[in-house]
Amino acid sequence: MFPIVLLSVFAVVLLFLGFLKSRSVLLPATLLFLVAALVANFLDWNKTYLYFNSMLRTDNLSMVFTAIVLLSSFLVVALSGSFEDDEAAQPAEYYAIILFSLVGAIMMIGYENLVMLFVGVEILSVAMYILTGSDKRNLRSNEAALKYFLMGAFATGIMLFGMALLYGASGSFTLAGIASYASHAQQGLSLIFYVGLLMLLVGLLFKVSAAPFHFWTPDVYDGAPTIFTAYMSTVVKTAGFAALLHLLAASFTYVYSFWGIILAVVTAITLIAGNVTAVYQNSFKRMMAYSSISHAGYLLIGLAALSAQSRQAIVFYSLAYSIATISAFGVLMLVTRQRGMQTLSSNPLSNESFDAFNGLAKQNPLLGLAMATSMLSLAGIPLTAGFWGKFYMFSTAVERGQIWLLVVAVLMSAVGIYYYFRVIIAMYFRDGATEPIRISPVFRYVLVAAIILTIGLGVAPGLLQGLF
Amino acid sequence: MLSDFGTLLLFILAAFAFIALVLFGARFLRPDRPNIEKNSTYESGEEPVGNANIQFNIRFYVVALVFVLFDVELVFLFPWATVFGQARLIEATGGRWGWFALTEVILFVVVLALGLAYVWAKGYLDWVKPQPKLPTVETKVPMDLYKQVNERFK
Amino acid sequence: MTEFLAFFKTLTPTGYLFLLLTALTVISAMGVVTARNPIYSVLALIATFFCLSGHYILLNAQFLAAVNIIVYAGAIMVLFLFTIMFLNLRREDEEAKTNLTKIASVIVGGTLMVMLIMIFRAKSSQLPVGSTVGFEPNTGMVENLGHLLYGSYILPFELASVLFLIAMVGAVMLGKREAGDRHF
Repeated sequence: MFPIVLLSVFAVVLLFLGFLKSRSVLLPATLLFLVAALVANFLDWNKTYLYFNSMLRTDNLSMVFTAIVLLSSFLVVALSGSFEDDEAAQPAEYYAIILFSLVGAIMMIGYENLVMLFVGVEILSVAMYILTGSDKRNLRSNEAALKYFLMGAFATGIMLFGMALLYGASGSFTLAGIASYASHAQQGLSLIFYVGLLMLLVGLLFKVSAAPFHFWTPDVYDGAPTIFTAYMSTVVKTAGFAALLHLLAASFTYVYSFWGIILAVVTAITLIAGNVTAVYQNSFKRMMAYSSISHAGYLLIGLAALSAQSRQAIVFYSLAYSIATISAFGVLMLVTRQRGMQTLSSNPLSNESFDAFNGLAKQNPLLGLAMATSMLSLAGIPLTAGFWGKFYMFSTAVERGQIWLLVVAVLMSAVGIYYYFRVIIAMYFRDGATEPIRISPVFRYVLVAAIILTIGLGVAPGLLQGLF
Repeated sequence: MLSDFGTLLLFILAAFAFIALVLFGARFLRPDRPNIEKNSTYESGEEPVGNANIQFNIRFYVVALVFVLFDVELVFLFPWATVFGQARLIEATGGRWGWFALTEVILFVVVLALGLAYVWAKGYLDWVKPQPKLPTVETKVPMDLYKQVNERFK
Repeated sequence: MTEFLAFFKTLTPTGYLFLLLTALTVISAMGVVTARNPIYSVLALIATFFCLSGHYILLNAQFLAAVNIIVYAGAIMVLFLFTIMFLNLRREDEEAKTNLTKIASVIVGGTLMVMLIMIFRAKSSQLPVGSTVGFEPNTGMVENLGHLLYGSYILPFELASVLFLIAMVGAVMLGKREAGDRHF
């Protein structure tokens, strides 16, 4: 509750700070606001509250998810570098929209009522449409925003229809009310109820880009400015999975036999579609888009199994994934900018290809190390956070006895190793005309922090255990 | 006795009747001297004949978008108007309901008013008129010479 | 046929009104998708919204009916028209459709129609008759909405203002004319 109020106020303040002449105050202010929200988030630690007629819930799980979302946005904002090299950028608006969108993300994490979920999803989605199209002079950014908006609006419509049907069947918008209706599953539930659940799931699965609702992801992630791609692929995904987890665990455990198998099939399709398509990509950014689809698949394993361990697995995985993704996109931003200045080619396609990383590690050991760590973590190699994330996920599937899904997931992780290692090979074993890249101090701190977090969680995964 | 809908129907009928009355009344009272300008649909000078399907200026769109948002906001104020002063609720809460409802709606309106203030201060509501550009000619002849010539052959 | 006539005889005046409104809604909705001229399409959409408002009134949801006309038929349709004006769709050319798309759409549409007919025929005999026990005729009244909106649903209501604010900021941010843009 506190972060929602604080972030709303801070965002308005930021909006009006944009009227100041100097832009340099915006970045520290935003970072300060995010830290304040993070501190306020933990004020209710170890207590469970329901706010405003059971609209919003805070418990340790929701606080941990909120913390992940806030930490991810902190890292992303720190990497944004105040948009100082772009005259046409409107940093005050961007930061304000990011803070507003966090309000939506926190609503999606802590909702107890479907109305809250809907408003939260809308706030987050509208913010993402705007940020995707924020590079107005770039046609690809415009196209991506339009595509995202049209498809996203359609998905929201389907989700809203699902909510209406659930209300029609159960007569309640609250998760508890729906759960009490679903508990009569033995006597047979209305068909409307199942259709509503399916439509709600479709809407949310679209938002986390699970197959077969993933077609927007590559184009949108590719077209959006890289900094916002990093934001989208971490915050939206974490919030979406928190929402899905809470929805399924709180309301629909009684009808697991209905959605469990559907979600397992969706998981398998997502894993295969994401990983196999990622192999064929030549652009690093596009590869990361498909990789984010595949990670949605890994996260879905925990949902499809929905066992006692699922909560912990999803929290750990989304944290590991967010950190690795942000640091990878951070390095990509530096490399793209450098190559853009070097070759004077404004064609982003060639600047974002795998070849752009050739020989990077020799001249820029820190960038090479950061990229290598995040690639290893995303591939799930031991001693990185990603390994334990995958391990927890797979153990939920074992617990539920979904061995066929486990086989698919392990095979697809092997495929994943191939394309993540392409980057590492390019950086360490290929020759390229890369010059030392100037790294600003903030960038350096963020990358070092990401490396430490990834390795630290990989060595001592128990740090997060028992928190919630 | 009329139901509420019956009253509504009477109201609509009365509206039609009133307009008919006024129009016919005006027809008998006014002088009738038409000309082309008066007969054109828009006396403001808008061309009534021709393709109406022309390209609009995109600035209309931003204004229209802001309008839609405030339209929706006003829609939310209407249910508030029906409940904020209810004596039953005020008594049941010991007078706190009125203040509570007022605070709620003020918060809602203030957030949107801040948005309007932002849009205004940013100058998005300003109508940027195209600057007419006066042609300048590079010439050695001083300007007042032209003026004298113009004066002479007026 | 006799069944059909018998059905008609059982209808109340409200029932006739409902059928009339439904027919109008379906006709104008078909007009939206079949009209060649996008402006006619938008006008047909406005007619559809008015018919839907009629349905809301039949359901005793007067506030929803008024909002539907004010917001959708009024404000949002203006935006639709603006967009069509921007696009300057004066030429009435059909966009190219390959034979494959045509065949695919016929198959998909046909399947959907067959499915709907099957469902209707299978389920029509056992359609649940709405029970009047838990029916609260005043649910759609604006006063009850006010109680809910400003009572239990106060938090989502206040946060909806954040949604409006973000939409407004985004709209003006993206809609602002840049220095290098084309000048209409």
